[in-house]
Amino acid sequence: MTRDREKDQTPNESVAGHDDYLWDGSGEPDPEMQRLEGILGRFRHTRPAPVFPNVAPARGWTSFPWRMRLSPALPISVAVVAILAAPVFVYQRKSVPAAVAGWDVSRVAGAPRVERRIIDDAQTSRLAVGQVLETDQQSRARLHAEDIGQIEIEPSTRLRVLSVAPGLERIALDRGMIHTYIWAPPGRFVVDTPSAVTVDLGCAYTLQVDDSGAGLVRTSMGWVGFKLNGRESFIPSGAACATRPKLGPGTPYSEEASPEFRAALARLDFEDSTSQQSSEDLAIVLGAARKGDALTLWHLLSRVSEDQRVLVFDRLQEFVPAPAGVMKEGVLRLDQRMLDLWWKALGFDDISVWRRWELSWSGAAPAGTK
Amino acid sequence: MAFSLGDTFDSLVATQGALPMREKCAPEALDDTSLVLAARDGDRAAFGRLYDRYARMVHGVLLARVPVDEVDDLVQDVFLIALRRLSTLRENDRFGAWLGAIARNLANDYYRHSSPQQQLEEEMSVQKIEAVNSGGDQQCSAVAILDTIRTLSETYRETLILRLVEGMTGPEIAARTGMTTGSVRVNLHRGMQQLRAALRSRARNDSPQQESQ
Repeated sequence: MTRDREKDQTPNESVAGHDDYLWDGSGEPDPEMQRLEGILGRFRHTRPAPVFPNVAPARGWTSFPWRMRLSPALPISVAVVAILAAPVFVYQRKSVPAAVAGWDVSRVAGAPRVERRIIDDAQTSRLAVGQVLETDQQSRARLHAEDIGQIEIEPSTRLRVLSVAPGLERIALDRGMIHTYIWAPPGRFVVDTPSAVTVDLGCAYTLQVDDSGAGLVRTSMGWVGFKLNGRESFIPSGAACATRPKLGPGTPYSEEASPEFRAALARLDFEDSTSQQSSEDLAIVLGAARKGDALTLWHLLSRVSEDQRVLVFDRLQEFVPAPAGVMKEGVLRLDQRMLDLWWKALGFDDISVWRRWELSWSGAAPAGTK
Repeated sequence: MAFSLGDTFDSLVATQGALPMREKCAPEALDDTSLVLAARDGDRAAFGRLYDRYARMVHGVLLARVPVDEVDDLVQDVFLIALRRLSTLRENDRFGAWLGAIARNLANDYYRHSSPQQQLEEEMSVQKIEAVNSGGDQQCSAVAILDTIRTLSETYRETLILRLVEGMTGPEIAARTGMTTGSVRVNLHRGMQQLRAALRSRARNDSPQQESQ
């Protein structure tokens, strides 16, 4: 990709031509930047690679010694061990139901609890399907699953594990705050809240739920999908989105949006306004919108009335012109393909990830009972 | 204790920064993938090459968050954690984004495990080292400028440190962190604007004090 094309892809900013030096050190040097580079260079990383320990590679069947694979004694030995171990296995399954699958729990501070048991530093606990983890006002905990990610649990939080099925890890956050760092592929980690389902489409986000069931997600890396009753929001990094019980996800907004913009947007999303009030709030949103608010305008296209949609279309068009294949008439009738094309033109991740997830999983209702 | 999110959300949003989104970098992703696969099979040289490729990025991510004299040790911790968990990485071409997440996580852990007193002592020890090492105004300036960068939002401080301290170009930052080139460009542009303004403001505040001395 040429540098010119990269410049064209800049989603939110008109970039001055003289910042080539800032971008890649080319072009006319910026004396102030050169001074800063010279001064700050003393903090630069210089330590060579350490000697890393040997870590045994994962061994598959093909790496087993040839003789062991063909040993005639092996099947007989396996059968004998299986017969002897069967009663023990059956007994253990009866006495410890669903205790194997789940998340490792560790204490970070205070006295977090799994059900009634307080987690201490002496042992690693397991949070299995159906179990509840709670922290009080002084407690913090951490969940870890090798192939999924890590979740930091803040004080006054209550969460439950709903599913640990391969390909879909699902927990319910009843209240409190969690920070998630997910390295599983997009769409594999889902959090139910009382007001929306949160689907991880990236790496890191913070999710908060208050006692009324209202929620807020803030994405710090990758992107997150929020969904309830067919209403969906996509929250890329640098953006946030609130949810309300029964209403579902609100409209995502850039964290750099003005307070005026956010306040009017919150009224549009969650207040039972008259059509006149709604029009006034939309006028404020459109008037205060900047290029970085294209994310919000794109979402509003499918949330406002048909009359208002024309206004939103025109304003979004000013910031990010509709790409080839996207027609005004199509957008006004909410043509999904055209909306998705425009989303891509905003510079965000491929929305087809979300569309595939929607097709493959229909369990979008949030956890109802606490 | 009952709490409501209304105002809390705004303050939360206002006080916490955010990071840009990721993007696959096709040509280098192939190289990363083969190195990750080799490292997963026990090839330490391959992991060493990944270290060479990503150490500056990890260093910059940590430098944006933890005391200077802790950063080098934490860089090694990040790579040791990554080495142990390499078998769990499913998308090999996202090694950089995954490594960055480990680094940010470790930085968060650092502060969660430090008492306020420890944090204070650590900051003071850094200042002490700086004072001992300082051979002139430039040494003091370096600390002051780094402090100023750290006052910027998380979005900008990480990208600026990768550019100004680690000497990475915009395309390199995008390739290593998994951010889009557009996001990196915006972060650099806005971050630099904010840094210039903050440095000017700091200089104005310092001037009257110097005059009075």
